[in-house]
This record gives sequence, structure tokens and C-alpha cells, in this order.
Amino acid sequence: MNPKCRRLWFSLFLPLAVLSLHNEVFDEQLNIRSLPDGKVASRFSFTTVLVGASPPTPQNHSSQDDPRHYSLFPLALGQILHEYAVTEMHLTLNAGKWNYDHWGYPDEDGVGTGAELWAWMGDGAVSTVDERWRGLRNALAGLFCASLGSLDELRTTSPTMMFAPGALSNRTSTHSLRHASLPSEHVCTENLTPFLKLLPCKSLSGIATLLNPHRLFDADWHGMGLHVSWLPQQGVQVKLTFQTISDPLRPQSSSRDWSFASVFERTIQRSCPVATSSQIVVALPFGVPYTINPQPSLVDQGHAIFDVVQSGPLDVSLHWPSGFQYSTTRLAETTFSVRRTLKGYTQDNGQLSVLLRNDEDSPVNIAYLETMPWIIQLYLHTLTLEVDGVSRNDLLQNITYIPPVPHSRATLFQIVLQIPSRSTLKLTMDITKAFLRYTEHPPDAQRGWDLPPAVFVRLDGRPQRRIYAPALLVDLATPDFSMPYNVIIFTCSLIAFIFGSVFNYLTRRFIVLPVPS
Amino acid sequence: MPPHVHPPNTALRDPSSLFYQKESNRRLIIAAYWVVLIAALPIWWKTTSIERLSLPSSRVNSQAAKQLRLPIEIALEDVSLVKHLQQELDQRREQSPLVWNGLDVTVQSKTENGSYTIVHDDNRVVASERRLTFPLRKTTVPALADTLTGLLVPRLNSHRVAHYAPRYRLAFTLLNEDAAAGDTINGWDISKAISDHLSPIFDALSVLHNFTVESQVQFHAPLAFSPRTLSEGVGLTPEDLTVFVNSAEWTLSSSVSNDPVLHFLVFVPSATRRPMYILNSQGEPTSANSFLLPQWGGIIIYNPPAEDTLQSPMRPLPPTALNTIFSKFGKQLLALLGVARLPAGVDNSHTGILTGWQLDALLRRRAFENAAEAAETLQSIVKLVNQIENMPVGQDVRGDVQDSLDALDRIYASPIKSLNATLQHSANALTLASRAFFNPGMLALLYFPTEHKFAVYMPLFASAVIPLLATAVREIAAWRRQRREAP
Repeated sequence: MNPKCRRLWFSLFLPLAVLSLHNEVFDEQLNIRSLPDGKVASRFSFTTVLVGASPPTPQNHSSQDDPRHYSLFPLALGQILHEYAVTEMHLTLNAGKWNYDHWGYPDEDGVGTGAELWAWMGDGAVSTVDERWRGLRNALAGLFCASLGSLDELRTTSPTMMFAPGALSNRTSTHSLRHASLPSEHVCTENLTPFLKLLPCKSLSGIATLLNPHRLFDADWHGMGLHVSWLPQQGVQVKLTFQTISDPLRPQSSSRDWSFASVFERTIQRSCPVATSSQIVVALPFGVPYTINPQPSLVDQGHAIFDVVQSGPLDVSLHWPSGFQYSTTRLAETTFSVRRTLKGYTQDNGQLSVLLRNDEDSPVNIAYLETMPWIIQLYLHTLTLEVDGVSRNDLLQNITYIPPVPHSRATLFQIVLQIPSRSTLKLTMDITKAFLRYTEHPPDAQRGWDLPPAVFVRLDGRPQRRIYAPALLVDLATPDFSMPYNVIIFTCSLIAFIFGSVFNYLTRRFIVLPVPS
Repeated sequence: MPPHVHPPNTALRDPSSLFYQKESNRRLIIAAYWVVLIAALPIWWKTTSIERLSLPSSRVNSQAAKQLRLPIEIALEDVSLVKHLQQELDQRREQSPLVWNGLDVTVQSKTENGSYTIVHDDNRVVASERRLTFPLRKTTVPALADTLTGLLVPRLNSHRVAHYAPRYRLAFTLLNEDAAAGDTINGWDISKAISDHLSPIFDALSVLHNFTVESQVQFHAPLAFSPRTLSEGVGLTPEDLTVFVNSAEWTLSSSVSNDPVLHFLVFVPSATRRPMYILNSQGEPTSANSFLLPQWGGIIIYNPPAEDTLQSPMRPLPPTALNTIFSKFGKQLLALLGVARLPAGVDNSHTGILTGWQLDALLRRRAFENAAEAAETLQSIVKLVNQIENMPVGQDVRGDVQDSLDALDRIYASPIKSLNATLQHSANALTLASRAFFNPGMLALLYFPTEHKFAVYMPLFASAVIPLLATAVREIAAWRRQRREAP
């Protein structure tokens, strides 16, 4: 076959091939913005869409012989979604406490400390939703090298109001939600490596090159997310995200200038060849002089946009000629803030106290969710609401409460509240701390028990954003594990003493002895 | 102690006349303690002992001593040669008894259901479904015996063949070494390739295995070593091939099930490292572009032709290449599953991928393997349980062992010519035996030493039992003395 003939023959087949490849589309984006406190927030997002696909339903997922063919979509993940018939799934692994007051709202809502997993799954399969939830947990634990297997029944709840499905809103009757969070999960390199393997270009080309573990895990806050959702117009979407808050002020305290090289210690050398779009969006400072290098290909609404595919090697940097002045003013966008603490020093009871502040001129409605493991039991009758020391129980609008079952089920406590304008609402509730069985204590060094973050949603705002309160630490009564034999011997001595005395009294013989005079 | 006598002239009451000071009462109390203690012993024994059900060890041992025998009947068209062929075959069986182990070959003249037929044909040697044409003459009988040996007990590299499993997962991966270096193969029409080249194999082997297929494309698959640079392109030495698969960087299959995975990789070298050759032991490039990793899978290196590169830097695998690659994958799959090739000089009648001869040889081989392995596993379980006294043996383990033995028994009971049934029973026996062997319940109390138990029991029991014993001894002594002194 001569080359010309081959070319002709090729062009005949090319349209067909392109058609088949269009089934999967990969886009990547990096958003960077400078925060008022001098830090830099970056959000990587890698989106793969299986065009025209519909989520696996329990009815059609059963066939094992069904072949799975993927090119850009990660196979390891695709198989898991298929095996457990997951319609929508969100996994986040975060480290640190997101500071809403200084950093504003994150680009991705899920910033709760530790691991959080929630999934919507269709009902009606051979295996129940709970069986598949267990399978999903374990499969993801294996995939991400995270201890998601501990997101067991003790932590699983179903708070449908807070975690509404994306495209399924009319199908909630046939689908069920499972949610669990594990605040004590530590996120590190071993989780990032499998994360990168799910990307078509790994960390070898394109925007993902910047994901340098040495810098990411050194950041003030970092978190990764995996979001699988179904977009009826497009298909099944897998979005992998990574958010960090890095601090350019740490090495040199006077300048908030940043560049890829300084923030990530890497620059983009090559673009990812299979990405349909590959963009870097930098939020430009407002009202102060700055220089940005290189020149962006597009500036749109205060955002500089760089196209990685066209630009070649890229190291974006932002420079402020004027020095940095730390500003203590809060961000205007976060008009609602939360402080949640656990009070009381004893190991058997305490008080949960939540301060909710509304800085707006109008009252706001807030939904508040606690998903406590059973080790903390809430006393609902002690729930009080106060504004400036005045009891305001009328502000409570709705309570959903599923009490815990010791050793088996978590608490679900969800209320709807109204916070009056420009005021701080104080919510308090008494709690008891459980006494654990010997085997329920973790085998590692004891630092207390992490309690999952509370979640708040503003009901009147659009879009509804979830706000995570920081995780809490609770100290439960802990036995001294170092001396079990001493304890056994002491207990046994006591029992033997009691037994001996009782036995002695029961079998003693009394006699009268004449005293010799 | 002298028997006590109440002082006669005292105002105090005699304590022994009080009802609770009566001798019989005291003895009853002591006896009650002992009754409770003795009655509690079985409960204590029951709650602290490890459940160790007895395993049918004599059955296991007798099963292990048994040898599965499968008959092979050959019907010869030419009656005059029957005896001669039988002699030749018997001679071969004596020469290599290991190869023929477990097979009973009889040559006869009449055709029976399930036997192999050999028909005369002067021109061709063709194997079809349990039928062979051969030039039947007195002088060709040794050659016929050789051909039959090749068909009935084909030689195979047993290290290459994957372990038997009722279901395999086939993971196909198209690996671009470095897509960012330019010229990328970004897809393949794998559904068509599989239905063209592999589905016939799946159908032919459906009695033995089921297959699950998955595929993916990777765009960055770096090698863990740097290949040798040649004057043109790069080369992989035989040592390189052993470490070719970079399992740290390449995620080659999903892990949703525990079925064994066979991997099939198409490796497209980076644009800067083309063409990539496989070198022979002298370091010279060879024309081969594929190799097999025993029990793991097959790898094909695809160097895109230079003129294709001009087309587009991003293109799917061209259909011609896809055909060559997948027909090669088909051969590799057959090799990994232990399907033997026809002996030299024997043609396939083109009715299917496999002749009945090949399939039967594979079925026999797998049945022998499974039965032997199941028996061996069962023996190991019995040995292990006997060796470790703290190992619990629950009802499920015993059930699995018994079911596995039953399945092994059924192999012998199954209709003698039904190879499929024999294989099913042997596979069943193996699955049950391995399930029993890996039962997690058997590990539960493995590390609970006796010293630990005594350390827990001693402080309580020693201090409680000693006063009980002492009183009992004293009372018995008193009672015996009373009897002796009684008139």
C-alpha cells in the first residue's frame, strides 16, 4: 500500500474514530485567587465526562459479563461505580480548618476536616443499599489508601436535606442517601498518589504537573475531592478537585507576590494532549497596582485566563509593587459565621455550645446538622436558644432527631433556625459522654475522639452552600490499659475477701467457753 | 479438737441448739457451695473452650491416595491395525508414565458415543471434532501413535499456564509511553476487535471459564528503566523484559472482584524512542514485537509506522494494526489458558478455533490439576488443624471440607465419559477446599496462650477455692470421727 493510498484509507476511518473518542471529554482548570490575609487559594479541577452515559441503576448493573471500555474515564473508578450501582458520590479528604472569615467561601463546598463520603444509590437491586454502601466504602478505601472502611454503621446517617443530589431531585423516592465522615483521617501523600493515577495525564503533563506533594502538604489547608454526578444533558461526570491555601508570606513576610515556582516549586512544561480545555484562571487584584506575567490570553471580569494548550511552558506570577499590609477586616461575602465548642471538663457529661452570628440586616434561616457517633448523646430537652441573654425558643422552626443506639447507630440531629438580623444566637445543649467497652478503644495512642464537623446551610441563599464547623475533640473515660493484671488481681482479692467472709460467717460454729475463775 | 460440751451451770443458751448452728445445716451450706461449683464447671468449660469440630481426616487421606482415572477410547476404521496401535500406545505409556498418568487408552474397532474416531485418508492429516484423518497403513502406525500422543497429552510449559479459575478478568490496556511527547494513539475500537478475535475463543472455552472484559487507555506510562539506545531506535534486552511492567506507575486493572486477572498490554513507545525493538541474547534486534509474561498476560509493542505520524498527532489505533494485535492477543490468551497447539503436521478442519481433541486435552488436564490440588488443600487443612491446638474449626469450615469431599467423590461417580461434569466437580471441590482453607474464623484465637488464661484465673480461683477445700476436709474429718465414736 503506498502512503497516498494509506492516507486516503485513513481519512475514511478517521471520522468514525473521532466519533468514538468524543464519548469521553476531559477538561482541566486551575483557579487561583489571592486572599486579603496574603494567602493564595488555588483550586485544581479535573473533569471527565462520559458523554451520553446514564448512571448505573441497580437493575442494569447486575450483568458481570458486561464489558467496560474506558479511555479517559478512570477504569478503577468506573468499575467501582458500576459494581455498586452508585448514582452520585462525593468523597473529600481534607486537612486543616477552613477559615471562612478570612478566606471566604471555598470553590468546592466540601471542606470538612478529615474524610467525608456521601453517596446516592438507587434502591431495588439484588443487594441492598447498605450492602452496596459497605462495598463502596471498602472499595474506595482500597483505591485511595484511606481508612474509609471505618466509615461504618456507627458513623453512617442519611441527612437528605443537607446533601441533596445534583440531578436527581425528582428521584429521591427511589434513591437513598448514605453519609459518613471521619474527622480523624489524616490526608497525605499516600492519598495523593492514587488520586493522580485517576487522571489521564497523571502528574506528568498539563496542569496536574503542579501537584507537587512536597508543597501541597506543606500548605496551610489542603484537601482533595472526588465528585461523581449525573448531568442529564451531558452524561456521567467525574470531577477530581484539589484545593490548597498556601502562604507566600511564610518565606518572606513583606511580600505577597507569588508564582507557580514559589507556590508549587514546579512550572507547567507540557500541556496534557488529551485535555479538551486546559485553563488557568487567576483572579486579578482590584484597586491596587499589580503586574501579571506572562500576559494572559484573555482577561474577563477581573479574571486573567491562560490557555495551557497554546502557551507552552508556563509560570504565571503575580507581583504587587506595594508592600503587604495585613488587614484584619473580615470578608464581606461571609456574613454568617459559626463557633462551635464542647464545654465541660468531666469525662461523663458536658455541654455543646454553638454561636451563630448574622451580620446581615435581615434575618436568615439556617439548617444545622449534627451527625454525632453514639459516644456523644444529646439531651434534647436541654436545648436552649438565646439572643443577648434572652431566651428565644421561638426561633427554632423544625427539629429532626434520630437518637443514637449505643454501639450501633449514630445520632442525626437536624434543626432549622432563624437568626435575627445583626445578632448572635447562642445554642446550648447538654450531652453525656459514653463509657466505652474495653475493645471499643482504638489500639493506638489516645488523643481523644474526633467528632464530625457540624454542617450549616443557608436556606434562603442561592446557591445553597454548605458551611462546615471545625471538628471537635472529646475526652472519654479511658481505663489504664497498662495494668490489666494488676486490676484483675485487685478485683479478685476483693472478691475473694468478700467470698471468704460470707463463707466464714455461714459456716462458723459458736460455742460458749467457761472462763476459768 | 475435743468434742465440745456445753458448760452445765450457765445462764447462756447452748449455741448448738440454735437452728442455724445445727451441724446438718452447716454441712448443707458447705455442700451447697460445692454443688454450685461443680454444676458451674460444665458451663465454664463450654464458654471458654474453642469450638473444634472434628474434620473427616480419614476420608481426606483416602481421597488424597486416590488417583483420578479417565478412560480414552479410540475407534480405528481399519480393524487390522487395532492391536498394533494399542501396542504402540502402551509402549509410549510405559516410556513416560508421568505424562500419561491417570489415562487409560483403549483402541477398538467399533465407534461408541464419546470416543475418538480415526479414519483413513491418504492425502491429509486433519483433526476435527473428535475425529482424525490419517493415512492408515501398517508402516504409519508408529507415526499415528506419535500424533495421538501429541493430541491426547500435548506438551505444555506448565509455568506459563495461569491457575484454574471459573472466571477470569481480562484487562486490556493501551499504553502510550509519553503522550505529551507528541504522536499519541488515543483510542481503539476494542469492542469490534474483541468480538472479531476473542469472542470465538470465549465461546469455545465457555465450558471451562467465563470472562469479564475491561479496557482502558493510558497516556503516560513511563518505564521503570531506560532501554538501550541503538543506532536506530531503542532496544529491550531479555532482562529488561522481565521488569518491563512498571506496576508502581501503571494502574492496569480495577480491583472490584477477586477473580484472577490476565493483562494484555499494547505499549506505544514515546515518539522520541521509536522504533522499540526486542533484542536477543546477543543484543541484536529481532523482528519479534510481543512477549508473554507467564501466568500474568501478554505484551505487544506497537511502533506506529513513520508515515502514519504525518496524519495527525492524535489518532486511534489503525484497524490493520488492531487486527494483528488482537489475533496475537488471542494466541497469547490460548497459551495462558493452557490450550495446546495441534501437533506438527496436523491441520485443523477450520470448523472452529479449537478441535475437540484440544478441548478434551485441556479439560482432562484441568480436571487432574483441580482434583489433585483440592485433595492437597484438604490434607493441608487437616494437618494444620492437628498441628495448632488453638485453631478453632467452625461449622462452616467443616461444611466446606465435607462438601469438597463430596464433590471429589462425585468426580468418580460422574458418568465416565462426561468430561464437563468431571471438570465442574473438580472445580467445585477446589473452590470449596480453598474457601475452607482461607476461612477467617480459623485465625480468631490463634494467639491466646494458656499462660494468659492461668494468669487471669489464678487470683480468683485460688483464693476462693482454698477455704472451700479446707472446710470440706475438716467437715469430712469431723463426720468420720463422729461415726467412729458412735456406738
